[in-house]
Amino acid sequence: MAEQEKIKSEVPLLIPRSCESTLTNMTGSWRFLMPRYEEKTAPCSTACPAGEDIGRIEMLTTQGLFKEAWETILRENPFPAVCGRVCYHPCENRCNRGEFDDAIAIHSIERFLADAASRNEFKPSIEKLPSKKQKIAVVGAGPSGLAAAYFLTLLGYICDVFEAMPEAGGVLRWGIPLYRLPISVLRNEIAHIESVGVRIHTGKCISKSFLDEAHNQYSAVFMGCGHSRTRGLNIPGENMDGLEDGIAFLGKVRQGETPSFDGSVAVIGGGNTAVDVARSVLRLGGKSILVYRRRRQDMPAFDQEIHMALEEGVEIRELLAPVKVEKNGREYTLTVQPMRVAGTDTDGRAAIEPDNEMTQEIIVQRIFKAIGEEAAEDWYNPPGEKEKSLTLKNSVLIPRSQGAVLVIGGDLTNQTKSVVHAVASGKEAAIALDILFQEGSEAVESRLKDYVVGNGPSLSMEVYMAGPRSEREKHIVEYDEINTDYFELAPRVTQPRLLIEERRKTFEEIDLKISANVAIREAERCFNCGLCNQCDNCYLFCPDLSIQKDDSSQGRHINYDYCKGCGICVVECPRNAMVLEEEGT
Amino acid sequence: MELNVLDEEYMTSGHVACPGCGAAIAMRFFLKAVGDKTIIVLPACCWSIIAGPYPQSTVKVPVIHSAFETGGAVASGVRAALDMKGDTETTVVTWAGDGGTFDIGFQALSGAVERNEDFIYVCYDNEAYMNTGIQRSSSTPYGAWTTTTPGDEWKKLRKKNIVEVLVAHRIPYAATANIAFPEDLVRKAKKAQSIKGSKFLHIFASCPTGWRIPSESSIKIARIAVQTNIFPLYEVEDGVKYTINYKPKEFPVSEYFKLQGRFQHLTDEDMKHIQKMVDEDWALLLRKAGERP
Amino acid sequence: MKRVVEGSQAVAEAVRLARVNVISAYPITPQTHIVEFLSEYCANGTMNARFLRVESEHSALAALIGTASTGVRSFTATSGQGLALMHELLHWASGARLPIVMAEVNRALAPGWNIWIDQTDSLAQRDTGWIQMYCEHGQEVLDSVIQAYRLGELVSLPVMVVLDAFYLSHTYEPVDIPEQELVDRFLPPYKPMFQLDTEDPCAFGSLVTPNAYMEMRHNIAMAMEEVLSLFQDVENEFEAIFDRRYGAIEPVGCDDAEIILVTSGTVTSTCRQVVDDLRSRGEKVGLLKVKLFRPFPVDLIRQNLTSAKKIAVIDRNFSFGASGIFAQEIRAALCNTPERPLSFGYVVGLGGRDVTEDVLEDIYWDTKNNEVPVKESIWMGLQEV
Repeated sequence: MAEQEKIKSEVPLLIPRSCESTLTNMTGSWRFLMPRYEEKTAPCSTACPAGEDIGRIEMLTTQGLFKEAWETILRENPFPAVCGRVCYHPCENRCNRGEFDDAIAIHSIERFLADAASRNEFKPSIEKLPSKKQKIAVVGAGPSGLAAAYFLTLLGYICDVFEAMPEAGGVLRWGIPLYRLPISVLRNEIAHIESVGVRIHTGKCISKSFLDEAHNQYSAVFMGCGHSRTRGLNIPGENMDGLEDGIAFLGKVRQGETPSFDGSVAVIGGGNTAVDVARSVLRLGGKSILVYRRRRQDMPAFDQEIHMALEEGVEIRELLAPVKVEKNGREYTLTVQPMRVAGTDTDGRAAIEPDNEMTQEIIVQRIFKAIGEEAAEDWYNPPGEKEKSLTLKNSVLIPRSQGAVLVIGGDLTNQTKSVVHAVASGKEAAIALDILFQEGSEAVESRLKDYVVGNGPSLSMEVYMAGPRSEREKHIVEYDEINTDYFELAPRVTQPRLLIEERRKTFEEIDLKISANVAIREAERCFNCGLCNQCDNCYLFCPDLSIQKDDSSQGRHINYDYCKGCGICVVECPRNAMVLEEEGT
Repeated sequence: MELNVLDEEYMTSGHVACPGCGAAIAMRFFLKAVGDKTIIVLPACCWSIIAGPYPQSTVKVPVIHSAFETGGAVASGVRAALDMKGDTETTVVTWAGDGGTFDIGFQALSGAVERNEDFIYVCYDNEAYMNTGIQRSSSTPYGAWTTTTPGDEWKKLRKKNIVEVLVAHRIPYAATANIAFPEDLVRKAKKAQSIKGSKFLHIFASCPTGWRIPSESSIKIARIAVQTNIFPLYEVEDGVKYTINYKPKEFPVSEYFKLQGRFQHLTDEDMKHIQKMVDEDWALLLRKAGERP
Repeated sequence: MKRVVEGSQAVAEAVRLARVNVISAYPITPQTHIVEFLSEYCANGTMNARFLRVESEHSALAALIGTASTGVRSFTATSGQGLALMHELLHWASGARLPIVMAEVNRALAPGWNIWIDQTDSLAQRDTGWIQMYCEHGQEVLDSVIQAYRLGELVSLPVMVVLDAFYLSHTYEPVDIPEQELVDRFLPPYKPMFQLDTEDPCAFGSLVTPNAYMEMRHNIAMAMEEVLSLFQDVENEFEAIFDRRYGAIEPVGCDDAEIILVTSGTVTSTCRQVVDDLRSRGEKVGLLKVKLFRPFPVDLIRQNLTSAKKIAVIDRNFSFGASGIFAQEIRAALCNTPERPLSFGYVVGLGGRDVTEDVLEDIYWDTKNNEVPVKESIWMGLQEV
């Protein structure tokens, strides 16, 4: 078509045809509010005396990263398997999910992770600082001593742990009954502590003179001897034969003795030892009667333990104060004074006074005293006014000018006698000593504040070691700050347990394992308060495509060239891991 | 929440939508769902501006801007031309606001779907003529302030139920969607794409500027619209098969109204009246879906 | 091959021969026969085209904006009210530079209802950026539709081929319907310069700021201006193949004429007879037929009219408050020439009233007998009311 070729328009076509992108429009200049990623602090982690990074642990669990989740516990607590079982989990009381439906079963997940680590023989890879010249002695291989040694070792110190008993573990080994803590679990966890470099010397009883000579070898001594002597009742008849010491009884049982019981046994006291004794007696054939001078709700024992004791058939007699003990043939008569509530004590428990009623008599076959323990030797205790000392939250630091620095911790100093508080004590001691060695004793108190979780008092070793957690804001996420639209109501996992009938007969562990599926499902309920779990809501809902994925640990960043500061990302963050601020602040 | 939303982006930053614009979010989700073998017919609406002034275009698919009332017709033409070129693969989409759908463009829409033209008609609904500055449309809900329903003259008429009107055409697929429910939106867009014939998608897209709401609450308010039953999520196949996609939390409507400047004048009495209307509509929908006798 | 067909069928045959891909139309008397023929062709496979049975003229043209933007040859037809309804989209089609072709059957606008010829409907669209061709007979209709595609696609502008209601649309005449092969030689397949393309995704018709809008409008103006010369090239080519040409204007005996009658549409045919008659009686009269109204062939008009003493412009249309529309345009074309004839304007045949030889002869004598025009527009044959 030669002709057709010749005819053509000479006017170049100009139409509104748009082929360039809008990327040249820097819409970021419109912005007067600026969103920013900012991880915050979950309330559970502040309630955990060990300051475990619970929100992150649950997040890793949902992703099936069990080893990483377990290691995240290990950064703050060398006893996940133990605490997953025996801890009274104060964390769960602060769980924001509790306001939505039910708190996360944090302890069940903790135990699951520890069991998974054990089953899969995970070898933890935990950050450890380069070796330092100081050596530290730890007296007592209970939870506080082992924790102190573990954390000090992570900080680069050489630690020797001296334990009088033939095996390490302290109350975990010789106190807590097997149905709460199987021995293999404990041994496995102590083996991990040893594997980071802690040296444990069992059968080494330390005398008072050691403290004076320690400085020859050690720069510091941590005293974690615990409370192992039962306090006296101060009533007539208490020292007669047959009235036994509760803690000693538990020790015997844990040494393998299986005394048998027949008939009623009175256990005097309301603490964990009393409950453990009552439940052990029950398993050995006795009928346990807990005699307590205040009410059930005032008992210092963990509520769940009391609950299970009642389930198993332990009887609790409240508001009865022992007056005297008498022996009648093979039986004992415990005379008790009924008490009544008369206001509230300073610690919140009921204040009591004798009721006008007549005393009562309780006829039993055996009696155990378990009204609380104290240090077996007076010199274990902090020296009080005698020496210049720093009273910290869970330990007492005595920076002696001569001799080794002394730290006293664990039950010797802790208000709450619990395993996790013992861990907290060991951690506090380790960090305090490190600060003391680096910067002097004057720096300890103020510097410790930098490493608290949220508003404290729990300390984080990961923060101290400048791990990623140190980037978090201290702000503790409140329930109202969670975007609950992204969460569906879901029932809390029910902890599977041995049947009550079986529990009455054996020392088999009561709490049974949960499967990985159940653990993941439970962990998925977690709000992960203040933490980014890479849910991508910020990316997804951004009208301006200003959230860009990258290889950083955050996984994404905000492109402020285009971000108009609408703030949708911040509101739609389910977990309050972002913040919206005025531009330029 | 797991979102099966592809990482591909078919929009670029630098568009000129207001901060927090629901319509921008709607387009982003929709394009992720349908992909780049798509041609968009864009009758006059906010998106005429958002799409970018000459020589810019913020979407990575071809767009033809069209007269306000021609969304259905221009798309019919594009579809016919593609068919004549043997291209049955490309998806033709009309992307219109509520004015271009409920009102001025309604004839062309009705005509196109009556002919069962093979295309997806998306109405992103921000419930007023927003591009011209917040004038009422037949999509403006009962109770709303707009610049043409000011003061005591706030709109006292119901919002037109556009999905039911489309359903009455017995088109193969009609559905509601909402920017706060991306998974549902993406699924419906993909489903619409897979069906031959006319498909109608009614996407609730909040407008911070016109609704007098803070830009950051754009998604939140869209979500509450669903949670309160004000904008139920459902789909209708072949004009008869109703499926309700989300069982709302049945929050009271006041939860929705109290957050928006455009409803600030409403009294408790008004709220009660609106609650009654919403409850009626919901009951009717339940019956249609066979969930209530 | 010559066949006796009505004007509507001539349109349909041309659309078939132009290998149009999509037809979109809404029926309106007197355009209906066109869409009926085309529907039939699409239905029986005579044409490989899609017929979009849209719900209005507005949508008919809107749909073609979609088809043409997607790069296929597109056609519609309408009349009177339908064209008025399309008005907005006429601007869209030209602004988007889409070479859509429309057959527009001139019909009077209501009220009162009137389905007969009146050119005001199409002339009212003169500023919409469409090329407009006014046809005299069936053959010209057929040829113009084919030429319209060639021309429109060259300059990326839409074309309106205009024919009188009934006098042309429904009148049977012998028309040479060319072989497809010949038409193919004249009209190559449509190759749009730009189209909607997922491989090259661009937005068409975006917001244009004051900074760029004027240049785009000027571009349309330049393209329209270029049509005046390109139309001749197209006709040369058409003539080479089909041995027919019409010209943007057709002067008949203008060289020696003292009075020239200016016409468009079917009135021209009647006028040819009247001019022949008058000339045989010794009157120095000529005829100028205007085919191309947009762009308006100003130079050609000047060349052919300035030698006359008087001209009489015959308008089958009216712009209220002004005059017949052709008269306005002709007067405007002449006003800058130093030697120009007096121009008389006559309004005839509105709403289908017959324009007989007598009416046209009256116009001639009125022009000859008056020194100067008595009025700008003289309405012919008005009855007492």
